[in-house]
Amino acid sequence: MADSTFWPKGYRCAVVLTVDYNDIHGILTQAPEVAGRDKTLSVWRYGTQRGVDRLLGLFEELSVRSSWFVPGIVAEENPEHIRAIQAGGHEIACAGYRHQHYDTLDLQQQSAEIARGCEALKALTGQRPTGFRIPAGNGAPGFIEALRDQGICWSSSWRGDDLPFAHPTAHDVIELPLHYELEDEPYFAFNLSPAVPPAQSRIASYSHTLGNLQMDFAGFHRFGLCYVLRLHPEIIATPGRIGVLRELLQSIQQHDDVWIATGADVAQWWAESAPPVAEDHPASVYERHYRDYLL
Amino acid sequence: MSSSPQPTWPDQHKACLALAFDLDGPTGDAMLNGSIWHKPEYFGFGGYGPYRALPRILDLLDEFRIPTTFFVPAWVVENWPKQCQAIVERGHEVAYHGYKHESFYALTLEQQKDVMKKSREVFWKHLNIRAEGFRTPSGDWRAETPAMLVEAGVTYSSSMRGDDRPYLVNVPGFETPLVEIPGRWEMDDYASLAYTRAPDFPSGLDRTASYELTLDNWCREYDGAMNEGLCLTTLFHPKITGKPGRILLLEKLFEHMRQRDDVWFATCRDVAQWWLKEHHHG
Repeated sequence: MADSTFWPKGYRCAVVLTVDYNDIHGILTQAPEVAGRDKTLSVWRYGTQRGVDRLLGLFEELSVRSSWFVPGIVAEENPEHIRAIQAGGHEIACAGYRHQHYDTLDLQQQSAEIARGCEALKALTGQRPTGFRIPAGNGAPGFIEALRDQGICWSSSWRGDDLPFAHPTAHDVIELPLHYELEDEPYFAFNLSPAVPPAQSRIASYSHTLGNLQMDFAGFHRFGLCYVLRLHPEIIATPGRIGVLRELLQSIQQHDDVWIATGADVAQWWAESAPPVAEDHPASVYERHYRDYLL
Repeated sequence: MSSSPQPTWPDQHKACLALAFDLDGPTGDAMLNGSIWHKPEYFGFGGYGPYRALPRILDLLDEFRIPTTFFVPAWVVENWPKQCQAIVERGHEVAYHGYKHESFYALTLEQQKDVMKKSREVFWKHLNIRAEGFRTPSGDWRAETPAMLVEAGVTYSSSMRGDDRPYLVNVPGFETPLVEIPGRWEMDDYASLAYTRAPDFPSGLDRTASYELTLDNWCREYDGAMNEGLCLTTLFHPKITGKPGRILLLEKLFEHMRQRDDVWFATCRDVAQWWLKEHHHG
């Protein structure tokens, strides 16, 4: 029934817990007008104030490792948090230096972001990160090659697959694709003014969201796929929602054939074990076409 | 007000289910305006449909023996021919859905004809078929579209929303009417489950619905339509309901649907042929 038998012996599917730790820099990119508005900024500062600790506590309680994407500036402003994440045995990966919308940057600027972000993290952790996630927007043509040239061997910014894949333009960069249904933000992010989400939607039902995430997991497990959860400390790590995450992770842990691993571990396994990316993979099809249209 | 009598269905079936998917892949507005070529993330979101979701949906349809219609933009057939050939090989129907999911309301008559001609060539080249059905991509069509469709060899459309039974559309200049098999937004998975950022869908980034409650909605629409003896079709999308978790939702829906033995499960093409035979006495 599983599509693949690509995982380490004994495992049917992989689960990668990723956390985007942006502090106030994410909302400042999304809505620059909130600069100087303390109440609004505090909605996102809650992650640093309360969420990171609570999330680390849950991961420790459940003995799971995770991968944290951190812009260099957030790490520099919150060095104790970075040390706590590292001390918990988690992976620290890069999200550039400033939290930026990459559609507004050219390749040279994007490359400079990768370099400066990685340097800032290395200065704090002693290790150069090997994973990268674009905080918002898309990489320019040549971006994946730029990641490779700076020692990045896994990326988690694309969609289009539910297994990892080797990028067609740089085979040694492994993509761990994202899924909107595995993100906390679409269900729970909320602010009154400026309105987040723009429709001023009601906050989703916690128990139904848990139900959705569990059903998604059941599908990823059945087909033997890679379940990449994308969390934000200020969104998921409230006193009520942390219980939703606990129930989700506990239900996942009831299976003894689930490989819960960091992005770096999953990417390394994939690089060593998996077949090359297919000709009709969405990333390959994109690669064949885009030059005809970008003039 | 309803003027036609209670629909009748083949072999004393009480009602009809014409399951249908729109296999849009990455086609649509972002491809038509070129912005998708700056957005590999969004391209991948769409490409997932033909590449990953479709094969699993075909397995599920085999399991439940549900003949299904796939409305496919021809660009998707050109780029994922192997996956699209499998639709035909496994006994389902492929029908027209534009070349890159053009809104026919936004095209001149000549442009509409060009899209149909191109689609016809692609379907013949890669699938060795002549399609009979058409579902208008995103939005409306123009007054001259029905005649253009009939001229292009189309016998039925599944584009409108205003009824829950098929009906005949008389096309001036043609003896045989066009059959319309209307869909309903209630049975469109975009209305409950689709979510993307940049481009934002829904436009205000409203919440994704509960899978459990969505299943309940769909089951109630099915039950109601079958109890009234009608024809229900769906506007499902592999990139939305063919995701790993939502495949399980489809599985539960199909289990529910298959509990009845008084329902005719048919492709839209078979429904159109039946309707024409029953209601057109030229």
